[in-house]
Amino acid sequence: MDGRAAGGGRRKTESGRRLSRMIADGYLDLHRRANEGAFVVWIAIVVPAEIFAGFENVAYAVPESHAALSAGKGVGTVQCQKAEERGYSADLCSYARIDIGTAFDGGKDSPTFGLPRPHLLVSNNNNCSLLVKWFDVYRREWGVPHFIVDVPFCYGPQSDRDTDYIAAQYRDLIREIERLSGQRFDIERVREAVRHSCDAMREWKRFLRAAAHRPSGITVFDSFVQMAPILTARGTPALAEHFRLLADETEGAIADGRYPVPDERYRLLWDNIAPWHQLSGMSSRLAALGVNLIAASYTYCIGSLEGSVQLFPYDGADPLRYLARIQNFSVCPQGLALRFEAMRAAIGTMGVDGVVFASNRSCKVYSIMQMDLLDRVTRECGVPAVMIDVDHADARAYSEEGAFTRIEALLESIDMKRAG
Amino acid sequence: MDSVIETIRACREKGTPVVGCFPLYPPLELLHAMGLRPVVLWELKGIVKSTPLSDRHLQPFACSVARHLVEIVLSDYGAILDGLLMYNACDTLRNLPEIIERGLGAQGRELPIIKLHIPAIPAERTEASEYLARRMDALVAECEAAFGVHFSSERFLESQRRYGEMRALLRRLEALVGEGRLLYRAFSRINRFGYLVGVEEQVKRLRTAVDDCAAVSINASATIPIVVSGILPPPPAMIDLIERCGLRVVANDVATQRRSYGYQPPEDGDPGGYYADFYRRHHPCTTLLPTADRRVDTILSLVEESGARGLVFIGEKFCEYESLEFPHIEGLLRERGVSSLRLEMAIDDYENCAAFATRIEAFAELLKGGR
Repeated sequence: MDGRAAGGGRRKTESGRRLSRMIADGYLDLHRRANEGAFVVWIAIVVPAEIFAGFENVAYAVPESHAALSAGKGVGTVQCQKAEERGYSADLCSYARIDIGTAFDGGKDSPTFGLPRPHLLVSNNNNCSLLVKWFDVYRREWGVPHFIVDVPFCYGPQSDRDTDYIAAQYRDLIREIERLSGQRFDIERVREAVRHSCDAMREWKRFLRAAAHRPSGITVFDSFVQMAPILTARGTPALAEHFRLLADETEGAIADGRYPVPDERYRLLWDNIAPWHQLSGMSSRLAALGVNLIAASYTYCIGSLEGSVQLFPYDGADPLRYLARIQNFSVCPQGLALRFEAMRAAIGTMGVDGVVFASNRSCKVYSIMQMDLLDRVTRECGVPAVMIDVDHADARAYSEEGAFTRIEALLESIDMKRAG
Repeated sequence: MDSVIETIRACREKGTPVVGCFPLYPPLELLHAMGLRPVVLWELKGIVKSTPLSDRHLQPFACSVARHLVEIVLSDYGAILDGLLMYNACDTLRNLPEIIERGLGAQGRELPIIKLHIPAIPAERTEASEYLARRMDALVAECEAAFGVHFSSERFLESQRRYGEMRALLRRLEALVGEGRLLYRAFSRINRFGYLVGVEEQVKRLRTAVDDCAAVSINASATIPIVVSGILPPPPAMIDLIERCGLRVVANDVATQRRSYGYQPPEDGDPGGYYADFYRRHHPCTTLLPTADRRVDTILSLVEESGARGLVFIGEKFCEYESLEFPHIEGLLRERGVSSLRLEMAIDDYENCAAFATRIEAFAELLKGGR
């Protein structure tokens, strides 16, 4: 966790150093295992990686996570340009462009030397169907099999019928990996992995609760950065341990009176994917205005279901049904009503003063409906909100001055509301 | 176009509920069999000239199909609808039902909105066909409850015959376009009205069109045959532009056209069985995810069989499904010596086709040079 010391200077915390090691070791381990013959799977972020723990030697990579890391390290634009030079439209998701640019250039410019070539692609269509089309690019280029997990979109709580349907697809996926890799599957190992994931989510929620403190114990940028291993280390005891230490450290800092934005005057909520290319610049400039972006729909939805921000725990029953049930635990698979309910809960429990809707043409699935969400938040929650234009990974599609002009207008609205 | 709206209104006044269907491939036969009038909400360009109501709900980077759909429903024209049916055709469309519901609510209006999930996996996979069959049963029950109508297998079979005839006539008419007996512009106009007028009326129009042009002979030797591909066909002004440049559309891979009428399933009185086959063997489309593997071969065959020398891709602006596939297809066409041109446009651009003139002219020159 990158934090701001009480004196105002930035420092790297122990959890921040541990996270860096975890991420670096994770990619090194992925490449090492691939070189040593592991069966490599590329997955979309919502594909339940715990299933792969049921096999002896299946390693998985997450192109979206790699793309976010690339954008955070400042190479997102150069990778996007490589994809565009191959004919991929600049209107496409910047994660997809970064990934295609990286993959077709042999990992050049990537902070992780790219990802090892997959034996199987597994996408799903609930976070976004674009992922299916994106993985089809590799299927065609490399002749790699592509398994699609079909998840009905969630306008309300998932029905038993849908849970059964998704779980049946997981069984198909397991058979497919057995067939392709020659490895045997052990459901008990998946059960264990699901327990580890659930333990990790419990600690993650404890970490996020620090945002309810005044001043907040965290910024949204902490949660953006710290969510990375949820995508790349799911199902491992190391993830649960990391989040336990992170939550302990955060609570300890609050107890000691150390806060990332000590002179916090405005507590804002962010709606959309993180602006990976702006984490440092945006956090510094906001802090200088006394603004703390304390939470984001992108991170509070993790570990929760359908309109809730509370943990959805594992009850120890069929792990495949549980993994099917939590297909709705991120934001994009949820409809407007559920997204609003979760946002209202977050605003209420964390004492949010205003909401920044990051309208992101690069992620239409997240962004389309934000205009109605904004309207509902202002009318029904009585909280001022503003919409800014941001691309999550392509820095070319972001204007800092344009964004901050609107954020400053939001702060004025909050001041006016406070003045009565 | 006004007369079409009047026809729909008249149909409704006679007691037939009108169901506005989200694109692209809704189960039209089933709705028709239940005594409903399905109208596919592609666009009503000519009537809906701008999208002020939609603009209150959707950012400009939503595709124009989605923006126009929302505009139609929220505008006064939405009053011709008794309900809506959507299915998971794409990420943008799946977000629209609740947005529309809210927009209507703000006007004090309400419409039943039925949401259908079509499995996006191969039919061979465990539970895929069973899931679809259950959803079709549920759809029947939802329509019965919402509109007070009833399902019967006999009527369903009869509707399949009518839609089957309509699709066969459209394939025949497209062949006549390929032979040079009918201009693509006229074909597109006839096809477009089919989404608004009833299937019976459309069959009549198509029979007449086929008869009329069977005797016509157009000298096509001086033109260069091309295929067009996209979600919507090129607008009339662009077709004119294409033809003025000495090109002639001889076949299409357009979602509202061949992708919609390219395949007709065998008769089946059970909706689950019929639509399992309908979606499984459907003419490939970027939005029908399991058809991806067939799509490339289908386009290459289309180009080869039609004798086309080039392909013009009319990319719907912001449609990621379409644009993610194009670079691969473009490369394969190039390997076979077939040139391609990619244009990106939205419904809002229909009056600005002159902006594409230079590129189309250059493309035509390229093809002529390769003679």
